[in-house]
Amino acid sequence: MMNQNKKNIFANNHYSGYLFIAPQILLMLIFIIYPVIKGFKMSFYEVYGMDSYFVGFENFKNLFTDPVFLKSIFNTILFVVAIVVLTIVFALFVATSVFDKNSKYVSFIRGSYYLPVMVSMVVMSIIWNFLLNPSNGFISYMLGNAGIKDVNLLGNPMTVMPVIIFVTFVGNVGQAIILYLATMIGLPEDYFEAAQLDGATRWQRIKYILIPLMKPTTAYLTVINIIAVLKIFVVIQLLTGGGPNNASVTMMYYLYQNAFVYNNTGMASSIGVLMFIIALLFSIPQLKSFLKSK
Amino acid sequence: MLNKLKQMEKFDLITNIVVFVLALLFLLPLFWLLTNTFKTSAEIYQMPPNVLPNKWFLGNLNELFQGQPAMQWITNSFVVAFFTALLSVIISALAAYGFAKLQFKGRTVLFLVVIASIMIPKETFIVPLFDVVVKMNWIDTYQSMIVPNLATGFGTFMLYSYFKSIPESIRESAKIDGAHEWTIFYKLCIPIVKPGLGALFILNFVTAWNDYLWQLLMARSKEMKTLTIGVASLQQDVNPNIGLRVAGAAIAALPMIIIFFMFQRFFIKGATEGSVKE
Repeated sequence: MMNQNKKNIFANNHYSGYLFIAPQILLMLIFIIYPVIKGFKMSFYEVYGMDSYFVGFENFKNLFTDPVFLKSIFNTILFVVAIVVLTIVFALFVATSVFDKNSKYVSFIRGSYYLPVMVSMVVMSIIWNFLLNPSNGFISYMLGNAGIKDVNLLGNPMTVMPVIIFVTFVGNVGQAIILYLATMIGLPEDYFEAAQLDGATRWQRIKYILIPLMKPTTAYLTVINIIAVLKIFVVIQLLTGGGPNNASVTMMYYLYQNAFVYNNTGMASSIGVLMFIIALLFSIPQLKSFLKSK
Repeated sequence: MLNKLKQMEKFDLITNIVVFVLALLFLLPLFWLLTNTFKTSAEIYQMPPNVLPNKWFLGNLNELFQGQPAMQWITNSFVVAFFTALLSVIISALAAYGFAKLQFKGRTVLFLVVIASIMIPKETFIVPLFDVVVKMNWIDTYQSMIVPNLATGFGTFMLYSYFKSIPESIRESAKIDGAHEWTIFYKLCIPIVKPGLGALFILNFVTAWNDYLWQLLMARSKEMKTLTIGVASLQQDVNPNIGLRVAGAAIAALPMIIIFFMFQRFFIKGATEGSVKE
């Protein structure tokens, strides 16, 4: 009898669809949808010990008059723009240079640029921390040899963001290179070769044929890099802790500090809500293109 | 070889030399890490540095495994990464099959939510998510590091295209023979999408192994730390032993380097099928 029942449930297409997606949807409800709604609610409350009070938009008002938060917005925008531009330009440069070469060489290039992505930002941050150490790091030593003495690149408010951007770039660009290479290698060969017969130089062929063909990939990489940079935490935690004097605080890092260091969950939730909205806005083109393809 | 180089346009040659030299420079930090693991602290500080260790010194690794619970951290990272990957493959395969092959009300809307969940990082709602885990009394447990990470729709989205590419006629003929939906899924479709399951497993394993912020919030005791958290905590210790710190980072990096060389094709696949780096 039990068996009979089970058979009926699975025989009916309408119900079996729900059964297959149930575990995924249940997890999403508990660990994504509920927290998102709760986060929006929390952003309108202030917590005092065990109690919380509705404060309307007070948290948001406080944020936008908080010089550290304004600094964090500036740093986040700088971070996102710099990483997206550097990543796209450099990845296109690498991929267009090697994509039509012998496959062993391509493998080597791909591997070299992708290994820093594999070993994670935790390990990469630790390595760079050693190399940049002002008293005995290799980079400080090299700069000293070049006549630039006593530099503390991470301790100087002028250089700290460029260094963070550089470290993130090195640990991140491999993803874009792999994707561009896969797309370029997947192109029909005659596209690129036909233009060669017309007497176009390699640079012209790259500029007028290859790069325009990469447009969808570039758009996709732009979106995922914006969102990936938005949530970067570990580089800042391990290299600067947001310092010196908040010079490298990003929205994500300020969210973390408010939530888990200052115990200011209302403020932290408000920052989270703002970041959520930004991420959602940037993912709309992606969602749209999916709906179209369906 | 030389002939080929001669045939290359000058522009092509120059860009490839630059790309090649930079590729070597990109490897330099990892080379530095792996060789310095076998140097004494004094030799690491030595400037200009020796390219290879004077004497291959095992003291740092020794101290890491004797003086620190490094073995426990490795075990924790392995348990967390393995079960995150395994459970995610199972849940994603079920859901992807449902979305790709079955008809039900609200399918498009629900699938849009699944895709949106990939694009929106959980860090944006990490405060209320943390509260959920606290309420479940899961802090400092394995499940706190595993279960919340199963909610993302990345795997479902990745496997969706694999299931979609299975011809409908195969399912239809199995249906005519009276097969249950479950049998069609398990006996017929799973073997076809197996390469996708393998790729997803490896990608999830690496993501979970390299996770930092979430595991940092979940692990309270020294015994529950994962390798990334343990290794990062060594950096913040007052302990001035640089050799130990370098060795810790090397141990965290090594499994990923090995996995990359074993499964390179999976990462290419993961990138092209809409991977979002966590």
